[in-house]
Amino acid sequence: MVTDQDPRAADVGEPQGLPAIDVVDLVKHYQARDGSVVLAVDGVSFNVHRGETVGLLGANGAGKTTMLRMLVTLLKPTSGTASVDGVDIREDPLGVRRRIGYVSATTGVPDRLTPRETLISYGRLHGIPTAELEASVERLVGVLGMTSYADRPSGRLSSGQRQRVSLGRALVHQPPVLVFDEPTAAVDLLGSRELLDLLAQLRSEGRAILLSTHRLHEIERRCDRFLIMHAGRIVARGTREELLEPSEDSIEDAFYRAVAS
Amino acid sequence: MAAVDAADARGRHAEEQPVVSLLTSAVTIAEFQLRRMLTRSRLAVAAIGILFPAAVVAAVGRTAGFPIERDLAALLIYALVPEAVCVLALLVTMCPVVADELERGTWIHVAVRPNGRRAMILGTFAAAVIWTTSVGTLALIPAVLVSGTEEPMRVFSVMLGLIVLSAAGRGALFALPAVIVPKRAMVASVGLAVVVEYLAGLLPAVINQATVSLRLRSLLVEGMGWRRRLPAEVQLLIDTQPPSVQVLAVLVLVTLLLGLAVVIAERRQFPPSEEI
Repeated sequence: MVTDQDPRAADVGEPQGLPAIDVVDLVKHYQARDGSVVLAVDGVSFNVHRGETVGLLGANGAGKTTMLRMLVTLLKPTSGTASVDGVDIREDPLGVRRRIGYVSATTGVPDRLTPRETLISYGRLHGIPTAELEASVERLVGVLGMTSYADRPSGRLSSGQRQRVSLGRALVHQPPVLVFDEPTAAVDLLGSRELLDLLAQLRSEGRAILLSTHRLHEIERRCDRFLIMHAGRIVARGTREELLEPSEDSIEDAFYRAVAS
Repeated sequence: MAAVDAADARGRHAEEQPVVSLLTSAVTIAEFQLRRMLTRSRLAVAAIGILFPAAVVAAVGRTAGFPIERDLAALLIYALVPEAVCVLALLVTMCPVVADELERGTWIHVAVRPNGRRAMILGTFAAAVIWTTSVGTLALIPAVLVSGTEEPMRVFSVMLGLIVLSAAGRGALFALPAVIVPKRAMVASVGLAVVVEYLAGLLPAVINQATVSLRLRSLLVEGMGWRRRLPAEVQLLIDTQPPSVQVLAVLVLVTLLLGLAVVIAERRQFPPSEEI
């Protein structure tokens, strides 16, 4: 198991070439309401390449969401750098937003809009020309299996169906980089499996995927590499095989050991 | 799904003209917000706002006698519609621009789009102005008719202009608390309206030049032809420059306030627990 003593240490098992996500020594402090400083992310470095799925594992409060929200430009880092598809998150946040798709646990799908309307509305926020957008939305509705409910108000959809709408919303501008923050947290077993199958398909198309979760068993065999985060730091990283000790048979064992140490 | 052409995807829409792109985004948000406003509860509240001024005018008319004298009718309708109804409509449409999105979990999904945050402010402002102007105009018609005043068309046209300017000016003003203290935006906006618009706006000093209320009062006085009849001490409460200057001043205020709100929204960070 490789620990994260040196923030610039090369990732074990990582592919060669320019990474689609490159994070170097990223730090985020919060000012708590009582005036104390909370260190949410503490010098994290890693990268993700095209055609690769990297799992970001950690318990609640480990700093995963803060980490991801810095990457998608919702939060500004206190220090450190990161780039998405070669674009610096500090220098060109708008450029990053054009290249990234973001899915969170809470779908935030507007109840009053149908899935089709939702995708069109969010596509328009990217300035995609109407004809091109409509074609893209039709394709997404088909690929994501939303045809039967594409024109039903989203308020009447199941949580799994809403998460598909959320995925479509993240894909409407065809970003090369996808960031998923607990995408299966509010979805049942079947919906979760379908969603993860879709992620595998997206990966095979050459997208870089960073997937945060604490449902380890779901992604154990779906990620190329793993980053284990605890108390704001990456405490272990590597492929499944690299992380597991001979006596261990699941990533969950490796996770508990890394967090406990 | 077609394979991703990474080169094509990279900055595919980056060359889009930024102003056109922002306008498209703002229109999208405005459409969405207007649709969200068309709920039964909102329409019921709007109906009360529409009927309330006419009811007050009718009550005054029963005491003062019909038809209500033109100047009294104009003053009454001004206080009820461009001031009260417009401010109340803006409190429920403009103030929750950020808080509503945070609560519904939609803020993060809008904020990760290239023009998301600024389009959210500008689009919601446009929707709030359209909604407020519509409610104000619908409130104005029965109020003028019930008053039975002479020169109803003059009263109507002056008030209509004031409704539009009040909606735009106060909408931009309320955008500030909405982005600075989203969860207490309504309370802060009421405070802002009282302190800035109704206290500072009545001070015969430089500070009142930066208020919408001074411009509206001055336009009302000019529009109704009251200027020469006003006592000297009341003249201090209005600005004597031509109407075009008053309108321009409101437009400048709107631009500055909205610009500031957009800058703050772009820089605003919410911890994940607040953003959901």
